[in-house]
Amino acid sequence: MTEQPARRPRAPARAALLIAEKDLKARIRDRSALIFGILVPLGLAFIFNAIFGGVSGNSLAISLGVAVSDHGPVSQAFVRQVLDPLQRSGLLVLHTEPSAAAARSLTANGTLRAAIVIPSGFSGAVLANQPASMTVIENASAPVTAQIVHAIAEGYTADLNRIRLSVRTVAANSPGGLSPARIGQLAARAAAAEVPVAIRDISASTKELDNKSFYSAGMAVFFLFFTVSFGVTGLLEERNDGTMARLIAAPIPRASILAGKLITSFVLGAFSMTVLVIATSLLFGASWGNPAGVALLIAAATLAAIGIMSLIATFARNAEQASNWQSVVAVILGLLGGTFFPVSQAPGILSKLTLIAPQAWFLRGLGDLRAGSLSVIWTPIAALLVFTVVTGAVALFRLRHLAEV
Amino acid sequence: MTKAIVIALNDLRRTFRRRVNIFFVFVFPMLLILVLGATFGNSSSPRLGVVVARSQPLANALLRQLQRTPELQVAVVGSDSALLTGVERGNYDAGLEIPASYDAAIAGGRTAAVSYLARPGVAAQRVGEAVRGAVARQATLLGAARFAVAERTAPDLPAGLAQARRATTAVPLVSVTQRVAGTATFSQTPGQFDQGAWTELLLFMFLTALTAAIALIEARRLGVPRRVLATPTSVSCLVAGTTLGRLLVGMVQALVIIFGSALLFGVTWGQPLGVAAVVILFGLVATGFGIAVGTLFRTEQQAQGVSLLLGLGLAALGGCMVPLEVFSPTLRTIAHITPHAWANDAFAKLIGDGASIGAIAPQLGVLAAYAVALLALATWRLRRVLVAAA
Repeated sequence: MTEQPARRPRAPARAALLIAEKDLKARIRDRSALIFGILVPLGLAFIFNAIFGGVSGNSLAISLGVAVSDHGPVSQAFVRQVLDPLQRSGLLVLHTEPSAAAARSLTANGTLRAAIVIPSGFSGAVLANQPASMTVIENASAPVTAQIVHAIAEGYTADLNRIRLSVRTVAANSPGGLSPARIGQLAARAAAAEVPVAIRDISASTKELDNKSFYSAGMAVFFLFFTVSFGVTGLLEERNDGTMARLIAAPIPRASILAGKLITSFVLGAFSMTVLVIATSLLFGASWGNPAGVALLIAAATLAAIGIMSLIATFARNAEQASNWQSVVAVILGLLGGTFFPVSQAPGILSKLTLIAPQAWFLRGLGDLRAGSLSVIWTPIAALLVFTVVTGAVALFRLRHLAEV
Repeated sequence: MTKAIVIALNDLRRTFRRRVNIFFVFVFPMLLILVLGATFGNSSSPRLGVVVARSQPLANALLRQLQRTPELQVAVVGSDSALLTGVERGNYDAGLEIPASYDAAIAGGRTAAVSYLARPGVAAQRVGEAVRGAVARQATLLGAARFAVAERTAPDLPAGLAQARRATTAVPLVSVTQRVAGTATFSQTPGQFDQGAWTELLLFMFLTALTAAIALIEARRLGVPRRVLATPTSVSCLVAGTTLGRLLVGMVQALVIIFGSALLFGVTWGQPLGVAAVVILFGLVATGFGIAVGTLFRTEQQAQGVSLLLGLGLAALGGCMVPLEVFSPTLRTIAHITPHAWANDAFAKLIGDGASIGAIAPQLGVLAAYAVALLALATWRLRRVLVAAA
């Protein structure tokens, strides 16, 4: 009397664990989970890190040639007060060139990204209210860089022009004109006037994964969808092989059979993700963030992947068809979810469309985790669980028929 | 020879009878071209999110000034918090908040403070300089107008602005002249989907050829070569047929991607003769490589794993994921051990520069050398494997 109720609930759970254990052993033996769950994502993350680790495009300092033939105060102020600080902040690397021709030829061959040439007499012309011009030479292949340099130069000349234009505006609208002495005073006052617009710099935190972590996390979550499919597709394999009939004939509740397959998927998915987190951190220096947060995100993403892959399996007639359809869906969701490149940074609708992929939520969760405390990941986790519950519920509903051989 | 063609056509039919292959050979590459073009194709200029807290004349003038700045792509954002999240997540390279008090501060002779939001790093600093330049240009006119008010030649700011605008035409300004040196990588600006299309074409042609490895192992497992060789068919004929079959798959794929991307996304492919030469030679290289690799493995899982690593890895190194122009010079040299890099260079000339086949002779030469070497290796290995299987 006392034994019966205690034994009954344990038996189905044990059956499920036994099935999972058998499946896991089979997966370890045929090496497919090892290859696609761990080796391929790790290999790709390694390759992408090795190749793109040094490619940072926009983030490199601009090597800028500076050829100043003018020794007056205006050009000296430009170099000391504008260019030097930008070199100290890491935006520019300045190369002093002896002549405009030297700067030009080095820019033409790409040694310099751009050059600024200030002709002799520049300061004199500026101070004497004469037309004056400095030149930005750009490398034809680096137009964006050149525009930045152009903006730096324009920012400085705009300041000079503000004083010039201030004096001119007042002089032109003063009845009877102004004496040179009065113009001198005006210029001094204009130079001292408060600037109308100032820029206040606010440093935003980074919720974007750095390159190393992005490739590691992107590849890991991309292949997660393939890894978990080994478990759920097992249900179809049992049916194809005729072993399902035997399982059903055995005194095991059908729920245990299903639970066994789901446990297999979860263990395969969570284990390979854990190995990838540790391996990419140690080997490539990927930073995944707060371990508790990462663990929660992995658990939620694995569940979401199982839900989606199971749902797809319920539409397939056999294991091969299931794995074909699963790989199609996994690849599309992986692409949209930004595992290859950050689709969330796309303009327009695509940045919203990415959120239909659980991968996007997983990566967003990791990104948010970089900047904030654990509390920031509840939205991504909730989203991943919504995927799990919705797809899982439909899959379970459809699986009523699957277990009937 | 007819037998070889029959074997090849049979291979082609077998490949495309599996619907999943149609997805990975045709549909997925097109999808990637679409998403790549939509994400990166528009412009490489940094994106600046701007919040105009209250729509007022001077605030709007600053917004227009920013929009006119060629080095920036400006997106108007609804709220400060949306801007902050967008900048943190990397949706914008930086953000600018023009406060509600902007117009009032300028009219009142005070300094209007706009907030520039950026993540730490050099990329955001570049955007910062572009924003500073645009703000300084606005400040030129505003400063002069305010000075006129302060010096009592104008009764109020609008009048001051009018005076300053009139004065602009009369005053000799200090200017910045722009000159271009050297030759551009692309003399014509490639279309939004162009670069994505040719790089993905190369990536997927190679990847598809590598799946030959899997097909070969499957055929051996099913005993197809043994049965074929039991008929009066020579090994050479089977080798030729198998090789030709894989090449045909690649050519059909290339045709569909080239014409599909031209029709759907308006990709311009450059001189047809040149494109055909690159595609055929690259297809031969890929076929040789795929078959040579296919003879090295026993199980389909092994072959699948290695195909993915090689297919994506070589494509990444060869400039199919990140353009070769942004590689460091050393890495660019290393990249040219891949046939992808040579084919990419050829397409860059054909599509980016509008060059004709003569201009890409060096690239074609290298690809031809690769093709000869790899096909020789592939047929030698294939012959051995097929004989062993029989």
